[in-house]
Amino acid sequence: MLKTLSTLEFGETGRVTEIRESRHELNCMGLRTGKKLKMITRQPIKGPVVVLIDEVEIAMGLDIAAQVLVDIE
Amino acid sequence: MMGNPNVGKSALFNRLTGADAVVSNYPGTTVDYTAGKLIEGRTIYEIIDIPGTYSLEPHDAAEKVAVLLLEEHRGDVVMIVLDATKIERGLYLAFEIMEQEYPCIIALNMTDVAHDKQIKVNAPEIQRLLGIPVVETTAISGEGVKHLAGAIRKAQVADMDAIGRRLEESEQNPEETTLTPGCGNCRRCG
Repeated sequence: MLKTLSTLEFGETGRVTEIRESRHELNCMGLRTGKKLKMITRQPIKGPVVVLIDEVEIAMGLDIAAQVLVDIE
Repeated sequence: MMGNPNVGKSALFNRLTGADAVVSNYPGTTVDYTAGKLIEGRTIYEIIDIPGTYSLEPHDAAEKVAVLLLEEHRGDVVMIVLDATKIERGLYLAFEIMEQEYPCIIALNMTDVAHDKQIKVNAPEIQRLLGIPVVETTAISGEGVKHLAGAIRKAQVADMDAIGRRLEESEQNPEETTLTPGCGNCRRCG
């Protein structure tokens, strides 16, 4: 099932299938298509959204998280 | 010295030069550069500690300083500092720098933290794959710093095509690069 990263529930895991915008910013922090991630926290209004990828936490704004598509397992 | 924020560049800089740049446990501490001198053998190096950046496309003022400094020092040796617990993230920037044909060496810092987290890093293999010197360091204790200083003169311009070929080869023979738990990678067992 596809979801945007900004709608993932706490503790939910999935695989990144598409990054619509800010690809470069996210790639250089380790968030790339094909990567497995886990939702750590998602704060309302502007974020931050924090996900765990390869044991590393990555934080981003809610608007950027909305541009990332994740396939939920 | 270049690397992601919070990988220990300033701590390593202090160890190399005896300076006292501000060091903290959160990213974004260094917002401007600091320069210092390192005497190694008969060579005097000027070491520049640069704010951390995730890529060469700056997103804030501190990252802009980092990118401008790199461009100003075209041809100089770049010491790429990686956090041994977050190598993959750091390699993105490392490759961007290597692609621009700067002579590079890699400091694999925070090996103490990697050890605590039971992350095993095969530094000789990274060195073989990238074709540039890779030195394991722990800036807070000073481990590997002398070795790192000695490696500066061995800096190499990376051959990106050769790296691609070596990566393809090692993907075809992955068993050669796997390590068993507790392996110190002395390579005497094979």
